[in-house]
Amino acid sequence: MIEKTRHIPDGKKERKNQPVSHYLEAEYLYFPTTDLRCPAGESCVIDGQYVKVGELIGTRHGGFFDQPIHSTVSGYVVGFEKKVHSSGQTVDCLIVKNDKKYVLHESCVSRTDEEIAALTKEDYIQIIKDSGLSGLGGSGFPTYVKLETKNKIDVIVANGVECEPHLISDYKLILERAHRIIEGLTYAMRAQGAKRGVVAVKKKYPELYEVLENARHSFMDFDIEIKRVGNHYPQGWEIETIKAATGIEVPVGKMPSEYGVCVFNVATLYGFYRAVKRRMPITERFVTISGNGIKTERNFSVRIGTPVRDLIEMCGGYTENDKNKVVICGGPMMGTNLQNDDLIVTKTVTSLIVLDEEPIKTEPCIHCASCVYSCPVDLQPVQIMNAYKERDKDALAVLNVNKCIECGLCSFTCPSKIHLTETMRQAKRFIRK
Amino acid sequence: MNYAKQTAPYVRKENSTKRMMVDVLIALLPVVVFAIYQFGWDAVVRLVLSAVIFILGEVVTTFYRTKPHPSVKERKEKFKVRFKTLTINNITAPLVSAIIYALIIPSNLSLYVVAVGALFGILVVKAAFGGLGSNIFNPAAAGRVFIGLSFTSQFAYTGIDAVVGATPLGAAKDALLNIPNLLQNYTVLDLFLGNIPGSMGEISALLILIGGIYLFARRAADFRVTLSTLLSFSVMMAIAAIAVNGNVVDIVVYQLLAGGLLFGAVFMVTDPVTSPVTKPGRWIYGLLVGSIVAFIRLFGSYPEGVVFAILLANIFVPLIDYYKWAKNRYSIKFIVGYVVALALLGFIVLVGLGGLN
Repeated sequence: MIEKTRHIPDGKKERKNQPVSHYLEAEYLYFPTTDLRCPAGESCVIDGQYVKVGELIGTRHGGFFDQPIHSTVSGYVVGFEKKVHSSGQTVDCLIVKNDKKYVLHESCVSRTDEEIAALTKEDYIQIIKDSGLSGLGGSGFPTYVKLETKNKIDVIVANGVECEPHLISDYKLILERAHRIIEGLTYAMRAQGAKRGVVAVKKKYPELYEVLENARHSFMDFDIEIKRVGNHYPQGWEIETIKAATGIEVPVGKMPSEYGVCVFNVATLYGFYRAVKRRMPITERFVTISGNGIKTERNFSVRIGTPVRDLIEMCGGYTENDKNKVVICGGPMMGTNLQNDDLIVTKTVTSLIVLDEEPIKTEPCIHCASCVYSCPVDLQPVQIMNAYKERDKDALAVLNVNKCIECGLCSFTCPSKIHLTETMRQAKRFIRK
Repeated sequence: MNYAKQTAPYVRKENSTKRMMVDVLIALLPVVVFAIYQFGWDAVVRLVLSAVIFILGEVVTTFYRTKPHPSVKERKEKFKVRFKTLTINNITAPLVSAIIYALIIPSNLSLYVVAVGALFGILVVKAAFGGLGSNIFNPAAAGRVFIGLSFTSQFAYTGIDAVVGATPLGAAKDALLNIPNLLQNYTVLDLFLGNIPGSMGEISALLILIGGIYLFARRAADFRVTLSTLLSFSVMMAIAAIAVNGNVVDIVVYQLLAGGLLFGAVFMVTDPVTSPVTKPGRWIYGLLVGSIVAFIRLFGSYPEGVVFAILLANIFVPLIDYYKWAKNRYSIKFIVGYVVALALLGFIVLVGLGGLN
């Protein structure tokens, strides 16, 4: 309808109340040696070698950065296999056979508070680099690159908003590990020399505010604030989170660090805690299996590297009807469509959604402008669509199609069910040519 | 099990073009019922006639606009392919236009004139431009103007609209000063409830407002256009009243309630297809409609001021929407521009009515 669409039925209430099943005992664990950001990779172990939890087993090479790969179980390396990565690509994966002893690697010893107090900015960057931490909100961007910024950072924002429907992995993480997230935030503040820290959580989750507020009291030396921000979509988008949490307006296309702000996902901050305090990489994460195409919807806590097929099996498999299944890795608004469910849980896999395919019938555009009203970046999707139909490069450039964050709201809100977001993507590809 | 190929987002909002159209039909219902109550079979016949013509025109043209693939040779197969492209919107959308069209014509208009206007509206103004979503003029308004210009002698009804609008240039001042006398014949309450002569749907302000509130509450129409139309119109009329030393409140209220302004502002300018797509653009569009109506009423000689104004403003929509300046944010530039435009137009009214003498 002709209005700004901000709320999406998110199904989080049902998800939230379901318990988390722990499935940490997968027989084989798979570690991709390449991914979307890192087209090349290598392993530094041989078949039959015994590896321990937290041991370095390989490196992924990106354009200007390297990402180490760590084992999350102890056991023998048994070879390589092709598996599906969360980006939808098929990649080579190193296989480790789990011996279920979970022997810690020798390097994984906790740092004492004195040791941590003595760390400099360079030390922090090196620690984070070695732990292979990357943006766990979904971007997968290596965290140490963010830390290397030359700009002066005043505020660190911890993003706990998770505005995508159906996802509750950050929610569960905050509930269980609030104290460690705040501790991670203090490390991030020390690493960046930031004076303030703000944790942003949704207003509709008072329980998250409570646990974080309690955790905050253990770190009274630091200026940390728990901010309750709006419930709408896309509140979790970096720029909206910064605005709601600190009031700073960052123009689209600029780096937040230029404005003295740095945003980390709460899961990334938990990774900070693990890396700095415990000298361990992230080994576990929460994954949700949901959607009407799956028999039972469940939340899991799994080791990184677990094959998702195991989880689907534990959910009872797919519902049996003659409809095609839409398999989505991530949220229903921005997730990736998979053509194969042979997926591996990597650090950035938050959820698997299986939907029965419903045919969407498109009607002609009636210029109602719901897409224009709803766009969080103030673009005019309908005008971009018309310009793209004309293949008008000048108009597309003036209409700023490159600013589009592909949040999916224009397609979601369209009463004629026109797939505007896909048109935006095509238009972006078109003007890049 | 097969994997479906889709791209994000995978969920859609529970809304549809159909719901929007049906909402407009529901909003029109009180006005239609009142028209039937006031004018009896005359109203029913004209409503049904225009509905039949609009829907048939839309269905037939959509049917033949679809080109089946050359490999489909058989006549029966071709028919099937074409039939599949028809949707519920090929009924609801022309039905909305048809009802609006029927409500802005007088109840005693000859049936063949009604038919000619409806045919022009659906065939020339809508179908020829590409059907639903592609027309640049409001089909109902265009049909009304077409018969208004072609069959002038048929519009002999003695409505208040005629008294207000059909004043020759130069007599505007007298007409405005005459309003307090008119108000002795018809009280403001009569105007509000619709106890007056006029076109079928335009006479009851109360029912139009009820429909409007429903539309805006359901978000099936944008309140900005309506608000901007009424605002700019009221400002023009207030300035006109000052220029002729009349009673401002009387003149503004009378002008707002008489004639087709309210009906047009609620049901016709809000037609999304012929509106601009940005918020500031919609305010500008409303300003254009409101001020053109005021100008036609003050200086023009046609009683169909509102439909003319809507057609004229429709011409400006592509200009307002031009990608180089259409922005969805309210900027200072827009607010200043809006106020200055309003002031300038008001000044023209002031000078035109001799308020400076």
